[in-house]
Amino acid sequence: MKQLTGTPPAESTVPTRRVDTLCPYCGVGCAVTYIADTQRNRIIHAEGRNGAANAGRLCVKGRYGHDYASHRQRLTRPLIRRDDAYPKGALSPMEERPGKPGGPVEESAVLPHFREASWDEALDLVADRLLAIRERDGGDALAGFGSAKGSNEEAYLFQKLVRAVFGTNNVDHCTRLCHASSVAALLEGLGSAAVTNVVRDVARADVALLTGCNPTDNHPVAATFIKDAAVNGTELIVVNSRRPRIADYASLYLPIQPGTDVALYNAMLHVLIRDDLLDHDFIRERTEGFGELAETVKPCTPVSAERICGVPAGDIERAARMLGGARAAMFFWGMGISQHTRGTDNARCLISLAMVTGNVGRPGTGLHPLRGQNNVQGASDAGLIPMVYPDYQAVDDAAIRKRFEELWGRPLSPRPGLTVTEIVGAARTGQIKGMYILGENPFISDPDVNKVREGLSSLEFLVVQDIFLTETAEFADVILPASSFMEKTGTYTNTDRRVQLGRQVLELPGEARQDWELICEIASRMGYPMHYDSVAEVFAEFAATTDAYASLSHAALGEWGRWYPCSDPETSEGEPIVFDDGFPRGRARLVPARFEPAEEQPDREYPLILGTGRVLEHWHTGTMTRRSRVLDTLAPEAEVELHEQDAERLGIADGQQVRVSSRRGTIVIRARVGTDVLPGTVFIPMHFKEACANLLTNPSVDPWGKIPGFKFCAVRVESAQAAA
Amino acid sequence: MTDVTLRIDGMSVTVPAGTTIWDAARDAGIDIPVLCHDPRMAPVGVCRLCAVDVGGRTLAAACVRACEEGMEVRTSTEQVQQDRRTLLDLLLSDYPDVSRRERSTGDDALLAQARKHGISNIPYPDGSRASPRGEDHSSQVITVDHQACILCDRCIRGCNELQHNDVLTRSGKGYRTRIAFDLDTPMGESTCVACGECAAVCPTGALTNRALDGIALVSEEET
Repeated sequence: MKQLTGTPPAESTVPTRRVDTLCPYCGVGCAVTYIADTQRNRIIHAEGRNGAANAGRLCVKGRYGHDYASHRQRLTRPLIRRDDAYPKGALSPMEERPGKPGGPVEESAVLPHFREASWDEALDLVADRLLAIRERDGGDALAGFGSAKGSNEEAYLFQKLVRAVFGTNNVDHCTRLCHASSVAALLEGLGSAAVTNVVRDVARADVALLTGCNPTDNHPVAATFIKDAAVNGTELIVVNSRRPRIADYASLYLPIQPGTDVALYNAMLHVLIRDDLLDHDFIRERTEGFGELAETVKPCTPVSAERICGVPAGDIERAARMLGGARAAMFFWGMGISQHTRGTDNARCLISLAMVTGNVGRPGTGLHPLRGQNNVQGASDAGLIPMVYPDYQAVDDAAIRKRFEELWGRPLSPRPGLTVTEIVGAARTGQIKGMYILGENPFISDPDVNKVREGLSSLEFLVVQDIFLTETAEFADVILPASSFMEKTGTYTNTDRRVQLGRQVLELPGEARQDWELICEIASRMGYPMHYDSVAEVFAEFAATTDAYASLSHAALGEWGRWYPCSDPETSEGEPIVFDDGFPRGRARLVPARFEPAEEQPDREYPLILGTGRVLEHWHTGTMTRRSRVLDTLAPEAEVELHEQDAERLGIADGQQVRVSSRRGTIVIRARVGTDVLPGTVFIPMHFKEACANLLTNPSVDPWGKIPGFKFCAVRVESAQAAA
Repeated sequence: MTDVTLRIDGMSVTVPAGTTIWDAARDAGIDIPVLCHDPRMAPVGVCRLCAVDVGGRTLAAACVRACEEGMEVRTSTEQVQQDRRTLLDLLLSDYPDVSRRERSTGDDALLAQARKHGISNIPYPDGSRASPRGEDHSSQVITVDHQACILCDRCIRGCNELQHNDVLTRSGKGYRTRIAFDLDTPMGESTCVACGECAAVCPTGALTNRALDGIALVSEEET
């Protein structure tokens, strides 16, 4: 007989607190309950909540990647660069030294160049130096990078500081590196850059086009709903030049040569028009510019497109017919569309496809650029963009400017500011002299790192506010220890336009402070008193400037958040689908695009095409995920993916160290040989400093979105031994 | 869609045709115990703990049986209770002494049902000693204890229906049936993407968060 004796007690008992909040990583915006060990101030367990975007589901980052916040390398005291650490430059080596734990920056190489300081000394120094530059050279000699990882409130305060106190519109953030071209095309075409319907609406689509995105790796929980739909009958058309896992669920997979999207989509438009698979009522009533579009795509036959993009003409025809025959079709896209020097043209084509088939504003239809960061939608809404105030109101519109001057009590610059890549360039030439970087790591995230190094080194004064010693912080004069997502309360707007409240789970470590309070401190010490009693009060000021948020407040958002627009949060969840009877600009403008080859084509010396991207386990510059035990163990190393045909020709074996070079730099990295990437192309994730993909990338940008073409540059791959 | 009206424990209930007895009972505030069923997933009716008396020759699994017009459902007759106790005895007969779930987060659903049904002596020899089913510690995030697995299929549906990662399955036959990753490779070497859904939906100590091994979580107020 077996006795049920009861479970013996565990070796140790841990007091815990449960906090309902959000996942800090991607734009899906999963609702999660974190369970914190209150004694050791760390998160030890996660449970999915039944949020609008995740229905209890989580991915590896949300469920296991939360321990970065309690990593021993957190910054806990303000730091000031020592006098003997000038002239400035990078302080830690680019290549990894074996056996050094905790991610890419070598603390032991960097920290001796800084001394700990009191908050008063550090903040006064920041204010004095920034003021001195403003007085001497004018506000346009200053610039700020905010972050799409911060809250809406932090984004609002940061752009207010730069505009009202620095006296310039030189404020931007990483949206420039991810969806700036999509935003440009959507603003131009529709008058709004937000998604027109939510991810889970894909369940009601007959057909979904997924192009230039890899949702199983980059939006894993959104991918589960797209796969749900596929299982239940939604036909997926997947377009990519590196086969994403979701292609397993596709009805049609179109492998496309990098940088040839316009050719493919113009040919699909050609077929739709040729075979009259159009929604004539929609085109007539809701759009303008169809004639010119039709004229432009007239010569773009599938056969001619095949020669450019490599997709068989028959598959182009089939894809067009699937879209044209669908009762409801949805369009998802990611960085494979936007991160090109013709990224805006790529997005214009997708908008045109949706419009001529009438696939916006109804259930199961819509345009959905999958947002990357947890708050890239919100940070853009809050005005962390050089051309616009909150709510995309143009800085060069005198009437709008007057309103903000009255609200903020300061004269504002009428000149649109510089973008991320322009600011880095202007730092190199000495036009930008002082910078405030909050939660961004341009040294790893921006193209052509050697140029970024020159830019950051040339700055007369740089203050970096972050949770870890980033590669960018190595160039700082002052480093301010800030709050991680887990230590703050604030709102975040996900890819679905859902505004949700993230709540504080952990206590701040050491002397680290809330980001929003530090922005206020710097403003106040620069002679512009900025005082708020709470984050909710900051939200109220932001919401008053931004129509889409006007009905919302922290209290109204509650546990589950709301989609914007939301007429009344008391009675409504907000709008999952928008533009059912009109666009913000009235009629949608169809903007034709003509195929232009990418600027830097492969040649004899650099015969392969490099595209950069991300892996499931890591996040952007690795600052967080490389300090998560689980994530760093699962994906400890960078790998370059190359096609087996190229590997064989180059004599490269799977797992071997190779040297990858472009016109701008060289890295050494392990080779992964397979068939996911097309022959003639290679893929490198962007997360790893020791094999820094952005040493190779091309800094030239899209003319409209000013986004760099991370998905296209010419490289050479050779065995590391042979080249050494 | 038409509605059907039935009685559950004497209470008249009207639901859309096709509604399961379990869903109808839940909406009426009647709790029918389950182990294999989770409202987020399609029911499979394998644990049989939810079996109720519908006046038929045998008991019916409430999680899969649809309501019928005029049906008379009794959810806690002596026979139903006795069946549940027998099922629990059998499930517990080879259950390990330590459930990692019970020890860390305290929410082992099988042990909770055992307590609820007053089970302390199992009228069978301890099956875990005769032929141990093994553990798998190869994953970075999840500890697999096959001894605590009741083959309820929740993890398999979590992996395939909710997350569509298509990694988990069953392998073997008879008493050697086990959950398996890919073609029965160790979890840490399989194509598992570590989303953790399987451990999140597991009702027993079979799949648990490895980071919680050996520690018990208690709420702040309890300390």
